[in-house]
Amino acid sequence: MASETRLPMAVEGLWRPPAVGRAKAAVLTVGPDATVTAADRDTGAIFSSAAFPTVRISDRVGSIPRNITFPDQSVFETSDNDTVDTLVRPHRKKNFGFIHGLERFHPRLVVLAALVVAFCFALYRFALPMLVEVAIVATPPVVPQLLSQGALASLDQTFFEPTKLSAERQKALTDQFTAIAALARGGNGVAAPAQVPPYTLNFRGGGSIGPNAFALPDGTVVLTDELVELAQDDEMVLGVLAHEIGHVDHQHSLRQLYRAAGVTALIMLIGGDIGSGTEDILVQGSALASLSYSRDAEAEADHYSVELMHKAGHDPAAIARFFELMRDKLGDKGENDFLSTHPATPERIAETKRYAEEIASRKK
Amino acid sequence: MNDTDVPQAAVPSTIRMQREKFSFTGTTREYFGIWIVNVLLTIVTIGIYSAWAKVRRQRYFYGNTHLAGATFDYHARPIQILIGRIIVLVLLIAYNLLATFAPLVSGIFAVAFLFALPWFIMRGMRFSARVTSYRNVRFDFTGGYWGAFQAYILGGALIYGTAGILAPLASQWMWNYTLGNLRYGDRPIKSDPRLEKLYGQWWLPAFVLAGGFLVLVAVAVALVILFSTQIGEFFNTGDDPQVSPYMIVVLFYVAVVPFLILYFVAGLLYRAGTRNVALNETIIDDRHAMASCIHRGRYAWISITNLLATLATLGFARPWAAIRMARYLATVTALDTTGPLDVYVGTIRDEGGAVGSEYMDVEGFDLGF
Repeated sequence: MASETRLPMAVEGLWRPPAVGRAKAAVLTVGPDATVTAADRDTGAIFSSAAFPTVRISDRVGSIPRNITFPDQSVFETSDNDTVDTLVRPHRKKNFGFIHGLERFHPRLVVLAALVVAFCFALYRFALPMLVEVAIVATPPVVPQLLSQGALASLDQTFFEPTKLSAERQKALTDQFTAIAALARGGNGVAAPAQVPPYTLNFRGGGSIGPNAFALPDGTVVLTDELVELAQDDEMVLGVLAHEIGHVDHQHSLRQLYRAAGVTALIMLIGGDIGSGTEDILVQGSALASLSYSRDAEAEADHYSVELMHKAGHDPAAIARFFELMRDKLGDKGENDFLSTHPATPERIAETKRYAEEIASRKK
Repeated sequence: MNDTDVPQAAVPSTIRMQREKFSFTGTTREYFGIWIVNVLLTIVTIGIYSAWAKVRRQRYFYGNTHLAGATFDYHARPIQILIGRIIVLVLLIAYNLLATFAPLVSGIFAVAFLFALPWFIMRGMRFSARVTSYRNVRFDFTGGYWGAFQAYILGGALIYGTAGILAPLASQWMWNYTLGNLRYGDRPIKSDPRLEKLYGQWWLPAFVLAGGFLVLVAVAVALVILFSTQIGEFFNTGDDPQVSPYMIVVLFYVAVVPFLILYFVAGLLYRAGTRNVALNETIIDDRHAMASCIHRGRYAWISITNLLATLATLGFARPWAAIRMARYLATVTALDTTGPLDVYVGTIRDEGGAVGSEYMDVEGFDLGF
């Protein structure tokens, strides 16, 4: 190599002793034996000298000054980034300066920008659902159990009253519920059987919540007296319960939780790069978007109810009839909790009816 | 110490005050590349690169901020940031899990969290100060737990409890805590913004907020009266396929957004005004005085147009916006020096963990350095 005959390359800058503000004009050289030396620019007196691997060289970012920190914590500073790179390159790995190379102003940045858009889409559409699935598989069954027990206990303390249904009525409903729940385990092959917990039916007085039914992720299904009274026949009650089993079987609540957490975490991590104003708006936007996700979950549970009821030999259109009843009796006033999460919209009624007919004719 | 041979105030008449202006030399052209690579690699690595991204971003902004012929520097190591972020994310996820499934227990955690917050802020300030240097001399932060508790928990309660009337008092606590506890090397920084001056900056945003609120409410009432029949029909027709919880939420946002914008603008005016007051009463080492002369209207204009441009371009104008703001803030900030700036000596200290700083970062706290 020709460099052996030349003087060692040098770069001019400032040298400062450890944690000292006053600087001295200095020259940095890298000798043939890979010794890095900072010396006085005028007198040539050596300030600091060390073997290359022990010296810390800050990465190149834009055109800000670089620091070369010696093991004694004294610092050589220079803005001559190109010369530093030339000095350093022979001693570094191949991908040295890769990030800075990407960052340089170049038409290639347009490609990177396009990639950002594509990856944002792919992340939201594919990677996030995949991560959610991984998280669900990784969740030990004890987690939904603990969480569900806590939720039920707090609801019992705040809203619910003991049920007023007679023991026979409870038993009749529980028997039918157990019969359909037995078919549900791992129902559509969506969830592995090991992860789908046993289902239990619990009766409560709804108090201010009124007619309602919901499922907790450990398979605890809660039914209020008011809903049993509202329904005209047991088929309707079972249709609603099958819908709730659908939520558990599809693990909707865990899925929704992980999804919301994942989206928020990603927005927060990019937060520093997009500014806090944009970050706030994105977080709000993702909350809006999760509403449409919960609508999809409702539709999925509706279909599940139709399928399960059919499989158990019950009326597959029971849930559709229940929605019609809700619409006629309660109106769409939105003052009911069950309605606000389970809107009895015309398209929902039509879709469940249509699907019930399809299932009935398909499997005859 | 070398300082003993520079007896300050010995001959006051000969002290020459010299104004050193801050300047910012970053460019959109250069920062765009750094930014797009940051975002791209953060996405590709599902957030892991964000720690490296933060270090590169901070180094770019610090390294381009000049004062008296020298620049600032940011020394945090990405791995410190990454560990801090992982801990913060785990805590946030655990907290949200609890809040979703065990509302009663989470109430207790919320209270515990309120008491943990000052600790996060204290450690966050310390970390951020210790990884910042100017002329090879690091900053330090000596604020304690109760100072942060007073400034942020009591101060926050004060602002909400009095509907903003005592906000200047909370601001005084906050600036006292953040700026007054900073040290440059081994020398103290003092900041004591006076309450009457903070109130001087309070009238305009208070008037904007109250006046704007009245106008918005009047407009809303007028709309409801004018369109009462249509609104009634809209909500009462049970068969109307348009009415869904989704629509109601959208309507809610439409109604709330003007108030949020109002609050945002008033906040910008107030922040700019109090920054002027606080920095103008900040003195480094008893001899160099900070000076800040933000024009409130100009600052609000830059902030709002920055946000709009960023949203309109799906985020791609962000580098331009960030550079524009940094440049403006540098031009309105100066240091009135009464002696050389390179006589300082620091002590190299353990930076501690980055959990606090990353909590503040992830939650969007603004340190205001």
